[in-house]
Amino acid sequence: MNPMIAIGAGIAVMTGFGAGIGIGIATGKAVEAVARQPEASGKINSVFLLGIALAEATAIYGFVIAMMALFS
Amino acid sequence: MAKTAEAALTVGERIKEALAFKTIFTVHIGSLSIPVSETVVTTWIVMFILIVGSILLTRNMRTVPKGSQVVVETLVGFLNDFFKNQIGHHWKIFAPYLGTIGLFLAVSNVISFFSPLAGFGFEPPFSMKPPTRDINVTAALALMTILLVIFSGIYFKGIKTWIKSFVKPAPFMLPFNILEYGIKPLSLCLRLFGNILGAFIIMELIGMLIPVFVPPIFSLYFDFFDGLIQAVVFVFLTTLYISEAVE
Repeated sequence: MNPMIAIGAGIAVMTGFGAGIGIGIATGKAVEAVARQPEASGKINSVFLLGIALAEATAIYGFVIAMMALFS
Repeated sequence: MAKTAEAALTVGERIKEALAFKTIFTVHIGSLSIPVSETVVTTWIVMFILIVGSILLTRNMRTVPKGSQVVVETLVGFLNDFFKNQIGHHWKIFAPYLGTIGLFLAVSNVISFFSPLAGFGFEPPFSMKPPTRDINVTAALALMTILLVIFSGIYFKGIKTWIKSFVKPAPFMLPFNILEYGIKPLSLCLRLFGNILGAFIIMELIGMLIPVFVPPIFSLYFDFFDGLIQAVVFVFLTTLYISEAVE
């Protein structure tokens, strides 16, 4: 295998940085919100799930690109 | 040095082999030959589980629920309440589709946890890998969702209002609004596919490293938790897009 492909795949997976930071911030804020208003936890939960799904998507795109680089 | 390179190559080769889709059998119609892959057979098994489960659980329905009927009624009631909250008063048309997609994804994402003889070189149906790790399955689901969103938007808003909604906040938003109909299915498809494939590859790596005792524990997180969360997210996003389209 061309080593440049492996390096490229590694760089593509670095999208995980952004997703990790984003999910961390979202989780922290969700915990704060639930602590402040425990009765709204159902609504906060669904919004939070949606938010982390969208934040995580960037990491997944990087992963898919890395897979395409490695195995195609 | 040469030895490590060789070992790395074998890991890569083994991953590649695990990722490949085997052809189970080939259907011959005249001069046409259609290969039926692993994914299709696993999807049939998922369908079989769902159909048989539905028939068995809804037999002998009573007005006063008893036994398994309580569980089924709770599940359906929970799903219906969720769709009612999200979509509004048009929820009844969409609830069957959304519930079916949710059940299909939930079963097909966790099916590798239940495959009894994984890792012994068995062919499906005895060793099952999640069908959602095939991008064709997730692409088909995303396409169905976006078609439903478009047609329900036209049906409930009327064709004129629907076309006007492309220039809704301001006319310069037109290209972005058109682009949205391409990005929505693409992100739905890739999110599900990438998550399941990632979990699958990590499970394969753990299985190569420590073949006994450890994989089931990690499988609880990667197959069960992650798979169910992804099923929830797919249904949730579909519901959101539909409610955006019909309101």
